[in-house]
Amino acid sequence: MTLTGALLSHYRRHPLQLAALALMILLATMLWSGVHQLTGQARDSLARAEQSLSGGREAVRSDGQPVTVDDFVRLRRAGVCVMPWLEVPDPDGPGRLVGIDPLAGQCLVSDSHSGRAPALDGDPFVDIHRAATVSAATPVDSPLHLIVGESPGPLPPGYESAPFQRGPDTGELGRSFLLNLDALGALVLMITALLLRAVYRLGQAQRETSFVLLARYGVPDRVIRRRLVLEILLLSALCIGPGVWAGSALARLLGNGFGASLEGLFDLPLYAGGTDWLTPALVMTAVVVLACVSDLLVPARCRAWLDRGGRSLWPGVILAAVGGAAVLVVSGLAATFAAVAVVFAGVGLLVPTVLSHLADRLAARGVDELRRWRWRELGVMARRLALPVVALQFTLALVLAVQALVASFEQTFEGWLDQRLAADWYLDVPAGADAGPAADWLAGQLAGVDGAAWHRIRRGSATVASIGADDGTRASHRLDLLAVAPIGPLLTRWHLLASADRPWDALARGDGVMINEQAARRFGWVIGDRLRLGEAAPGAATDGLPVLGVYADYGRPEGEVLVAGSRWPAGQTPSFEGFAIEPGTADIDRLIDGVTRRWGGEAPEVQENRAIRASANAVFQRTFVLTRAMTLLTLVLAGTALLVMGLVFITSRAWYFRLLRAWGLSGREVFSQLLRLCLGLTLGVALLALPLGIWLTWVLVGRINPEAFGWSLPMAVYPGFWLELLVLSALIGLGIAGLMRRSLAREATS
Amino acid sequence: MTERAPVLAAQGLTRAFASGHQTVSVLERLDLSLAAGQSLALIGRSGSGKSTLLNLLCGMDSADAGTITVLGERFEAGDGEPAHVRHRRWAALRRQRIGVVFQDANLMPALTLLQNVRLRAQLAGQPLAPCRDWLERLGLAAEADRYPDQVSGGQRQRAALAMSFAMTPALILADEPTGSLDRHTADEVATLLFDTLARSPAGARGTTGAALILATHDPELAARCDRIMDLGHRASAGRASTDTSS
Repeated sequence: MTLTGALLSHYRRHPLQLAALALMILLATMLWSGVHQLTGQARDSLARAEQSLSGGREAVRSDGQPVTVDDFVRLRRAGVCVMPWLEVPDPDGPGRLVGIDPLAGQCLVSDSHSGRAPALDGDPFVDIHRAATVSAATPVDSPLHLIVGESPGPLPPGYESAPFQRGPDTGELGRSFLLNLDALGALVLMITALLLRAVYRLGQAQRETSFVLLARYGVPDRVIRRRLVLEILLLSALCIGPGVWAGSALARLLGNGFGASLEGLFDLPLYAGGTDWLTPALVMTAVVVLACVSDLLVPARCRAWLDRGGRSLWPGVILAAVGGAAVLVVSGLAATFAAVAVVFAGVGLLVPTVLSHLADRLAARGVDELRRWRWRELGVMARRLALPVVALQFTLALVLAVQALVASFEQTFEGWLDQRLAADWYLDVPAGADAGPAADWLAGQLAGVDGAAWHRIRRGSATVASIGADDGTRASHRLDLLAVAPIGPLLTRWHLLASADRPWDALARGDGVMINEQAARRFGWVIGDRLRLGEAAPGAATDGLPVLGVYADYGRPEGEVLVAGSRWPAGQTPSFEGFAIEPGTADIDRLIDGVTRRWGGEAPEVQENRAIRASANAVFQRTFVLTRAMTLLTLVLAGTALLVMGLVFITSRAWYFRLLRAWGLSGREVFSQLLRLCLGLTLGVALLALPLGIWLTWVLVGRINPEAFGWSLPMAVYPGFWLELLVLSALIGLGIAGLMRRSLAREATS
Repeated sequence: MTERAPVLAAQGLTRAFASGHQTVSVLERLDLSLAAGQSLALIGRSGSGKSTLLNLLCGMDSADAGTITVLGERFEAGDGEPAHVRHRRWAALRRQRIGVVFQDANLMPALTLLQNVRLRAQLAGQPLAPCRDWLERLGLAAEADRYPDQVSGGQRQRAALAMSFAMTPALILADEPTGSLDRHTADEVATLLFDTLARSPAGARGTTGAALILATHDPELAARCDRIMDLGHRASAGRASTDTSS
């Protein structure tokens, strides 16, 4: 038999161990490369669009209506250099395609100050004819944009130019969101690396005798090391390829939800892109080599020092304290993530030692010798299973934190929807209909009706500029505009994040505006700042209107300004107009009939509160689909790894359970000891994961979320979910004990 | 030899194991009887069934056929008694009346020698106070608070004997108790075993002393026993066993 054959004989004897290693490499690659592909695709396509159109502007209609093909024709006939831009869903995968007319776009090159041609070939750009065909076959509306270059000159009456922005206008929020996901991916990678290392080291411990034997036969140590490194590289090469393919499939599976999240949260389009094989292959190979054979590359003296450090509490305490303090003081997402990583490293060092010290201390206090033995065994388990124990703890903490974040968001979102959807019925004004007479009729019908309330809603956009202390106009921004009249109980129950004195009264008088949290955070506007609604509000006071309040506005990226109906810019056609009606004791059917008659029999679209709420909840669920999928898969991976490792460990201690039988414990009593031991370990890990999970929740909610999403959330804890995690940990413990019982039963022939 | 009440009696004990597609018969229709205070050495080549017989005699394994009567409890293969009831009766005997000593690994590694002895005494329902005395009597006073991996192999085996004596057994089953020790240490442990056995308080349970069955390859150790049963000869000769008094 050759040396390689002798080394590999271990895996012939333990094929499941090899299968577990291979499966873990494959799953880790799948998870990380899947996320990497999605975030990379988002970044690449954004960069592509930005590079193509940096500084570009688009033609918009002055009346706020969306542009159409007719507008394109009209502008072309007026001699304006304009190129159509139609975004449609990619029918072959996640992301979107951009339909353009390259011929029409030629003039943009000569107009460009930079003189460089926009890079409009290849993914995600296609000919506009194909995009139009896809658009016709898709039930979703595909908005058309008309690109007019960097300095389009005067446009025909009825049109104006606005910055063409596909995403970056939401500040760095979109990028932060992607960084957030990357950090989650890195944490998952770290956890899987720990698990991989645990399984690999288990095998190495079993092979140690063979290595000593080979050394006695005269095989140099360095030759054995080289073969081991080669062995793991070969295994990586065999598993990483399928892993990247599986990651690509995962990305395709989650891509639509992810794209919808980006679109809904940040207005970032996810463009179609190819699979990057090289980066995941290189990163995963490095991770596998580091996790498995890094010990072979570290000098023996350093290994001994690290081992000594691993048994002491202090390195873990110091790292956790330094990381925790850094989280409090650093700013920026990357620095916060780095500080969190330091805390995790400290806790990772600390937990097995704390568990084992705790068990030893409890053993010292015991008077029952069997209980003392159990505590001592638990201490040994905590030390021997340190890596999978830490991995499970990290995963449980991550799951707990993500769940708390999502649940907090869900709860806050529910409360917010209750405020926003205060009315039972919503009527959309038909296109071309005049809402004025209907508003007057409704006011007359609902005056004095018990429990009745209503208001008229107009939506559009406006250029908003802040006025400095020197009365000079600061940078202007194109924001959504919302006008409501009358300002009644359907509106005044909105929870304001910040407000001036009696803000609703001032708003109703037209003495100020309110802004959403996104606008406040992005432009740094605070209560009392004065805003001017650009040329869209010619009647407004030249010194602007003060900000009266800041309201929460979840699930959308755009900044928005809320004004009283009287402040709606004269002559501007709303892009949307409708009524919110709480009929009270009045008959809603009669009211709908009434407004329909005012519009010459053209029936409005009527939406019930419940339907709108369901649609909003669907958007919410889609937002966290990727995060939830990742944490769930990681939990499954960590749980399975602890199950396997626990089983292997308990098998190595099987003799001592046999000893208990020889000492007269019945099968049931031996199983009871086994069960308590396994439950003690997994529940202990879960209990230690709780404080870490709560702390991570605070970091996510208090530090990371405002930077990544653009809005803040209240911190909430969910003890019910803690209980679920404890039950899950107990199930893992039961699984180990159950499998071991079978193994012991097979051994004891009866 | 004075006629004493039998602690253990076995008739027609048979045990076979499956090995691939074949069935290998290890013990066939073996008869055995042992009185209180007596000792019996089981000898024979490896695979002759010494450990299998010990396992049957303490209920860690079940015979395919035959009857075992130990300390008044009768166990008959195939008598229809539910397995869990039989296991429970055997467990009660092992816990309080039968001491089992293996070749090595008799101690829980996470407990000190004293804690191991206390654990065994506690399981048997015996007082814990004499545990340290047992260690002293076996020359382990200084090692009482050490862990098994901190003492020598001979000291571990002496601690294992202390554990068995601390439970005041009526029957001790020892599977090659000196098998992993050097000659000198093996002699030392054997001397301690037989000396302590002679002074064992098992008589307090109404017998005249603990009975001992040990399996060994060591002819000198076997020669210290009252009787020797050569299972290897038995196997090669067919059905008959050689049971001699020394």
